[in-house]
Amino acid sequence: MAEPAKRIEDAGLDEGAAKLTPEKIEKVINGVLAAEGGARLKVYVDTCVHCGLCSDACHYYLSHDKDPTYSPVGKVKQTLWPILKNKGRVSPEFIKKASEIASTECNLCRRCVHYCPMGVDIAYLMVMVRRICHRLGVTPLYIQDTAHSHSATMNQMWVKEDEWIDSLQWQEDEARDEIPTLRIPLEKEGADVMYSIIGPEPKFRAQLIYQAAVIMDLAGVDWTMPASTGWDNSDMCMFTGEFEMMGRLKRDHFEAAQRLKVKKIVMGECGHAYRSVYDVGNRWLGWKWPPVPVIHAAQFFYELLRDGKIKVAKKFDEVVTIQDPCNIVRGMGLHEKVRYVVKAFCKDVVEMEPNRDHNFCCCAGGGVINCGPPWKMKRMHGNRVKAEQLAATGVKTVISPCHNCHGGIEDIIHHYKLGMHLKFLGDIIYDCMEKPGAV
Amino acid sequence: MHGLYNFVRGPLAWVAFILFIGGSLYRLISMYKLARKKDVFVFEYTTLYFALRSILHWIIPFGNINSRNRPIFTIVTFAFHICLLAVPIFLLAHIILWDESFNINWWSLPDGVADIMALIVVAGCGYFLWRRLTQPEAKFVTSAGDYVILAIVAAPFITGFLAYHQWLGYKFWLILHILSGEIWLAAIPFTRLSHMLFFPLNRAYIGSEFGAVRHVRDY
Amino acid sequence: MRKRTLALNIGMGILVSILAFVLIPAYSQEDIVTLEDDAFGDRQRPAAVFAHEEHNEKAEIEECNVCHHLYQHGEKVEDESSESMGCADCHNVKEGYPTMPLMKAYHDMCQGCHKEKGEGPITCGECHPRGEPVASHETAH
Repeated sequence: MAEPAKRIEDAGLDEGAAKLTPEKIEKVINGVLAAEGGARLKVYVDTCVHCGLCSDACHYYLSHDKDPTYSPVGKVKQTLWPILKNKGRVSPEFIKKASEIASTECNLCRRCVHYCPMGVDIAYLMVMVRRICHRLGVTPLYIQDTAHSHSATMNQMWVKEDEWIDSLQWQEDEARDEIPTLRIPLEKEGADVMYSIIGPEPKFRAQLIYQAAVIMDLAGVDWTMPASTGWDNSDMCMFTGEFEMMGRLKRDHFEAAQRLKVKKIVMGECGHAYRSVYDVGNRWLGWKWPPVPVIHAAQFFYELLRDGKIKVAKKFDEVVTIQDPCNIVRGMGLHEKVRYVVKAFCKDVVEMEPNRDHNFCCCAGGGVINCGPPWKMKRMHGNRVKAEQLAATGVKTVISPCHNCHGGIEDIIHHYKLGMHLKFLGDIIYDCMEKPGAV
Repeated sequence: MHGLYNFVRGPLAWVAFILFIGGSLYRLISMYKLARKKDVFVFEYTTLYFALRSILHWIIPFGNINSRNRPIFTIVTFAFHICLLAVPIFLLAHIILWDESFNINWWSLPDGVADIMALIVVAGCGYFLWRRLTQPEAKFVTSAGDYVILAIVAAPFITGFLAYHQWLGYKFWLILHILSGEIWLAAIPFTRLSHMLFFPLNRAYIGSEFGAVRHVRDY
Repeated sequence: MRKRTLALNIGMGILVSILAFVLIPAYSQEDIVTLEDDAFGDRQRPAAVFAHEEHNEKAEIEECNVCHHLYQHGEKVEDESSESMGCADCHNVKEGYPTMPLMKAYHDMCQGCHKEKGEGPITCGECHPRGEPVASHETAH
């Protein structure tokens, strides 16, 4: 079985746990449970009949040859049950293990919700464990560093304001070589659309900004990007359980849109950010729905194509498959819209089985890839089923409108030597759309 | 013998029903209050349409992906739960007791059918026991309490079956039957058997989260 | 309306009892060992065991109308008895109004007394035992 033979060192977990005392653990746990453990926690834990039917949902479980310690309920058993049963009297070692399980063995992909007869949201329970571990200061180092970046800079990648603006201008310059009239409108009050992206785009995937600018420009969208904070819609704090910071991030993002008086926010091709803005962060702030309408790039592209704002010039000359990002399929049901766009631009699609809202997670989401290199092999071993799924399609190109999926699937492709590569919807559209003003 | 029978048939039955109904109300009301206080959006997002969509997909056999993937389990669990609910409610002997005590009666199952259904419940318990003992995904999360609950559920049906057939020690089995039935009823609100109360509510909520908020299936 | 029905019932009862007396004198109380009432169609359980003479001796019942009661206008007529009638003459199998349904009448009659006296069977299987088929001629009407 796939239990790693060597213990994985992670300063965030090891040093965090070393500072704990049983008294502190008990106090913090009971504080969190008293303040935040509501009816859902109680009902979920009380009505789980321990049937194990959720197991087949989980890629970790399936990839580890049905090792029950990786089943969704198995992870709850190893984390939350003892915490509740012992009323918080657990050891620092236990907290370290619980943090590892909740942070690196669950992607919060919510596939198990489709499998649980009782409708238990196990992702919610895992987040509760992460929340407790966060409050105890036992969170994997890399993702904690990202959360620190959020706190210090309001973006995920320690990008400073001048660097942000400079990156946009750089991409604008590049794009003007292709479309001389193109602008990336900064801080344009009253635009229709605020386009927000995640920190890694200006940091090391700047060509995505270029492509988005070309699509926006050619589609004739009245758009803008904020010049100061609020441009980054990503949110690792949601995944570490640092909800207070998550709230600050989401408020900053919404307020940027409100400051710019836009009609809606269009988010780049990122799954977790969409979950954070549309589903989680707004609730923390007390908004039933986002105060400014929010749509994901996949939906935006679908609408542009449907309304004839962008047109297909040529078909992408390869058969492709689609990696459905959990956070926009189980999080928003965008799977058919993604296919609408892909089928318009590509020769043919070979589906993975299962697909759409029953897809398997990429194993990178839920902050797991953000736990960094120490935990990479967990993702590789934990998603053999995805490698098998990908190999079975026999295609060379995977399209996925999600940064996490890209990171996760790329690693899987390399590890299992699948010889495939990934594309965003934006990549395909940029390549294959009509470009009237281009030189 | 009148004394013991009258005791389990009379005062103890009242205790069981009060614990069952009162306990259920207590659990539901206290959970409602807690949700109002701490999980307000449960009420905000829950809609009738998606609540029903979810519940229906999970109470109709093969209505969801997991039940299609596990046909044997699905058949067993549906047969088990249908019989589990129908036999106590529609058993002629039970209805006669209702009629004697409260002057109310309703349609009853033929005794022969009810007999087979009771066996199905016991067989279902046997299947679940087998799963807990042998299937790693169930075994790993099984604790002593799960066996106790299986026993609590199986006992009224085993004893009822034995009492009905009167092979040996009729009155002994009858009294044990009543007693175990009362334990079962009283246990519902306070054990995992409370999934009977919370299943529809849980589904209504999660079905609405998936349907109304996330525009996707939960089945 | 109700009065006329009652009168009719009583009339019918008398007629039936005369007929019974004339036509089937071979049946006597000693023969009654179960309460297999033909008014019930299909039975879910074997007919209740009831040895008439033995029971009355044990229970020290002298008067017929302790069990064979007669009701008029919803009230028990103290001096009258109804042993000449079948229980089903007044107690229908299905409808409960104005009299008790037949099965309930039997249950109530037997158990009511047993509970009151604290003696005699009061559980299902004690009166409806399995595996002892009773020959059909040894039955009550």
